[in-house]
Amino acid sequence: MMEVGRLCVKIAGRDAGMSCLIVDILKDNFVLIDGQTRRRKCNMKHLEPLETVVKISSGADSATVTSELKKLNIVVMERKTKERKERPKKVIKHKLREKKEKVVKKVTKKDEKKEDSSLEKAVGGSDEKPKKAVKKKVTKKVEEVKK
Amino acid sequence: MVEGKFKSRSKKRVKTVVPGGKAVIHYRRKTPQKAKCAQCLAELHGIPAKINSTFKNLTKSQKTVARPFGGNLCSKCSRLTIKSQIKE
Repeated sequence: MMEVGRLCVKIAGRDAGMSCLIVDILKDNFVLIDGQTRRRKCNMKHLEPLETVVKISSGADSATVTSELKKLNIVVMERKTKERKERPKKVIKHKLREKKEKVVKKVTKKDEKKEDSSLEKAVGGSDEKPKKAVKKKVTKKVEEVKK
Repeated sequence: MVEGKFKSRSKKRVKTVVPGGKAVIHYRRKTPQKAKCAQCLAELHGIPAKINSTFKNLTKSQKTVARPFGGNLCSKCSRLTIKSQIKE
C-alpha cells in the first residue's frame, strides 16, 4: 500500500489536512514525505493513503514533487527562508541622557571661548599688547635681580 | 462580619494561618473547568484552565493547539473528520 510516489493526506500534527507524496521508505514504519507539507520523516499511521500513484524515483527533489503535484491540480506554496537581520543594540535611557548632557556641556564651553576671542578681535587686537607688556615687565624684573 | 460579596459560594474558601498566628479564611476565585472536545467530550490537552484575566496575557501558542480544529476537537476526532472530508 505504502510505496514511493503514493499520494497521501497528512492526518496528524500542524500539517494535518495537507496532501503530500511519499518520497522514500525508511525503517520502522516511517516514510519520507514532501509536497504541501514540510519535507520530513513521518509515521505511516499519520498518513491517509489515496488511490493515485505518481512515478518518481526514491529520494526525489522537492522541485520534481511540486511539478508532479501541479499536474494533479494541487498547488504548493513556495517556502522562503527569512534572512537573519542584526538585532539593534539595547539603548538604556539614563545613559543616553548622560551622553547628551556631556555633549551639551562641551559645546557650551567651546562657544564661550569663541565668543570671547571674537569680541576681543572686534575691539582691535587688545589681547596682543598686554602680553608684550607682561613679557617686558618680567624681563625687567629678571635684570634687576641680576644686578 | 464578612462583606456581602464574600457570602456567596461562587468563591472558594481557603483556610490559612497568617504570620500573627491567627487562623483566617481567604476567599479565592474558583478555577474554571477544563476545555473539552466538541464531539466526544474528552478533556483537551494543551489548553490551560485559567480565568480570562490571566488567560488573555498568554501567548497564542500557549492558548491553542497548532493542528487544524486545535482547541476545539481532540486529536482522535480531528483525524476522523479529516478522513471523512477526504472521502467526500
